[in-house]
Amino acid sequence: MPSRGRPITGPSRRDFFRYVAAGATAAGAGAVATGCAGGAVRKAPLPSGPPRYGGRLRVGIVGGSSKDTLDAHAPVTHPDQARVFQLYDTLLRFNDNYEIEPSLAESVESDPQAVTWTIRLREGVEFHNGKPLDAEDVIFTLRRISDPANPQSGAVGLTALDRDSLRALDNRTVRLTMLRPDVTLPDQFAQYANGIVPVGYDPDRPVGTGPFAFDSFEPGQQSVFTKHRNYWREGEPYLDELVISDFPDDTARVNALLGGQVDAIDQVPLGLLRVLDADPNLRLLESQTGAWLPFTMRVDRPPFDDVRVRQAFRLVVDRQQMIDQVLGGHGTVGNDLYSPLDQMYNSSLPQRTRDVAKARRLLKEAGKENLSVELVTSPVAAGTVEAAQVFAQQAAEAGIKVGIRRLDPGEFFGDQYLSWDFAQDFWFTRNFLSQAGNGSLPESPYNETHWAHPEFTDLVQRARATTDPAARRELIWRAQQIEWESGGHIIWGFPNQLDAHSVRVAGLGVDRSGIPLNSYGFRRAWLAR
Amino acid sequence: MTRLLLKRILLGVLILWAVSVVVFLATQALPGDAARAILGREATPERLAALREQLQLGEPLHVQYLSWLGNLVQLDLGTSFSNGMPVSELLGERLNNSLALMLCATAISVPVALLAGTYSALRRDKAFDHTTSVLTLVLAALPEFVVGIVLVLVFSTGALNLLPAVYVMTESGSAWSDPVQLVLPTMTMVLAVSPYMVRIMRATMIEVLESEYVQQARLKGLPERTVILRHALPNSIGPVAQVVALQLAWLAGGVVIVEFLFRFPGIGFALVDAVNNRDLPVVQTLALAIAAVYIVVNLLADLVSLAANPKVRSAQ
Repeated sequence: MPSRGRPITGPSRRDFFRYVAAGATAAGAGAVATGCAGGAVRKAPLPSGPPRYGGRLRVGIVGGSSKDTLDAHAPVTHPDQARVFQLYDTLLRFNDNYEIEPSLAESVESDPQAVTWTIRLREGVEFHNGKPLDAEDVIFTLRRISDPANPQSGAVGLTALDRDSLRALDNRTVRLTMLRPDVTLPDQFAQYANGIVPVGYDPDRPVGTGPFAFDSFEPGQQSVFTKHRNYWREGEPYLDELVISDFPDDTARVNALLGGQVDAIDQVPLGLLRVLDADPNLRLLESQTGAWLPFTMRVDRPPFDDVRVRQAFRLVVDRQQMIDQVLGGHGTVGNDLYSPLDQMYNSSLPQRTRDVAKARRLLKEAGKENLSVELVTSPVAAGTVEAAQVFAQQAAEAGIKVGIRRLDPGEFFGDQYLSWDFAQDFWFTRNFLSQAGNGSLPESPYNETHWAHPEFTDLVQRARATTDPAARRELIWRAQQIEWESGGHIIWGFPNQLDAHSVRVAGLGVDRSGIPLNSYGFRRAWLAR
Repeated sequence: MTRLLLKRILLGVLILWAVSVVVFLATQALPGDAARAILGREATPERLAALREQLQLGEPLHVQYLSWLGNLVQLDLGTSFSNGMPVSELLGERLNNSLALMLCATAISVPVALLAGTYSALRRDKAFDHTTSVLTLVLAALPEFVVGIVLVLVFSTGALNLLPAVYVMTESGSAWSDPVQLVLPTMTMVLAVSPYMVRIMRATMIEVLESEYVQQARLKGLPERTVILRHALPNSIGPVAQVVALQLAWLAGGVVIVEFLFRFPGIGFALVDAVNNRDLPVVQTLALAIAAVYIVVNLLADLVSLAANPKVRSAQ
């Protein structure tokens, strides 16, 4: 067995995946996957010309159940997420390249210490009920999210916010101070779970400023939305009506698209890609993302408390084989670091590749030859269980015995969640500081690896308080280097987002956020005849 | 007869209670609780604590069970953990939809199966009999989701685009308002329950046709139609009723898979959902409802056998 480079190429990508990949590869950032495989399937032409107004778009979204909610600040499942994007707008937003841009706020600016912030609101924004957006609504929203008695999804990102400091300078201006400096505030304002709601907001009769207004809602089944006639973006939305249906079952979702009962679906199951691609009236929408499916090793418990063991585990992974077998080739290789789309991502570090001999040597030095570990897995995201199986095979070649313990998601997220010694997790695209705050600091709520590295923590804290981009980049690069050398994640790749829609649907583009169907951007969608 | 009926009803109630205890304990044995299931990945300790408080999950187990049972006796099914709606409201429409499905499946499968079985018996060892025999064997061996997927392939996503592949909610929310959407799920269920009924009908009918009283009737020179309708059929109803009942009772449980496949908004779909969400009040109610269907259908089958068989009837 060779010891350098990529010794194990594994079984070559299966033909149908290659076929599909050829048909679905996005032709680069900004381009819609047009699916011109050139093979047997003659695809119907995409609609062209100016967007057409009117019509009703029906979309099928993965998951959902009777616990579905319309609450702007408590989305859990994909259908919840999809609805939040229609009903509400955030102060800032991530564009298709995952860069922050203004939305309801014209600007969000801080003093040089990143302590005092000023939010300037856009003029002429109206809620669905006709009430104009003003500073009080923003204050109400931020207080609601961070309410200590009933913290919402976004509360984690706003822990540094001084709730009592929120005040309106005038109708369109909000001033706030932080308990400690935090340059990630704009990032938090752009998170979809932090949509702005009016004073007195009631999730049972949801009102927002989003492109679509609430019409009807049946948890676990479907929800209907109508066009917001006074939407602040010129010309949008194009559709008169939007129907979002829940589809917990993959087969039903694909069948609904094939049978023409919905016009678009998110999360194409890899096994059914070929079926969809063979239909001339359907298009695949594929986006590279920064979403990741890590293996998580607890750095405070044996055997992973020994850095050599963690390094050995990272070295046994054949990343390309993972991408090919788990994702059918639809993904990019990872380097044990998250946030690859962050402009401050440390691209100077060498790509880690498989090196079984070195892994064996490290294990021997650590006195952990013939190591036997249990990997806890669960189908919490597409590909996790498959990744566990491929990992077990790859590790076996380095003499590591990996026993796979498969749990249902309820048990995985049960009392032992975040305390498994060796498990998996999933994350969407996030920037480095925001991600580190969620999962890599001692006080982070989702610190699966129990990572508590004083120098790393100090670097992150300092980066948060550094408004100068060059100085911040330096701190972040050093933090990532530490994580690359000794962290507890095995980040083997970033899965692409794969959705599908009828050829009648236009306006949806490639999006790097990892949120399906162009971040559920139905305000830009239109229906061709 | 009346005493027997009362005894059976009492036994039924006892069984229902036992089911409620077993289901309660089984759902408690599932790892995680409703708060965990609802928050999933978003379960920070702070948010968990807040939600558990709201759902009153902190109470001891027996208190939770007794308060549920106490409410049930007063015909209050409690409120769903998942979305805070009253269970009766949540399940009312679902139950209605599933009943629509089950009634359609019953209305088609019972007469068709009994006719096919009888005809097979009469045409014993002829082409029709052989075809039916092979067909019912194959169908009996196939799990219902395979049957369902094949039907979808044939009628909606493959060659023909005649019928909807999945159920999409209608304006009124009731399955009765758009019968076209009921066709494929109903066909799947009909194909799942009919084979056994056909086979048992055929076997029973053959036995009856060979019995002495049928021979006697024929020797008396009665027309064949009268022989079959007046003498053979009534005597085969008893044993067949038991099998028909079992199959129909199966519908109540089998509806789970079929509904999931077609995304049909009935009790089966709701049950899968409620188990995933650890939504105890809903799981309990549905388990009791399905058990009640079993009990009632079996009771009806007993009554039919009794009515069809004077010897047994007078022995009581």
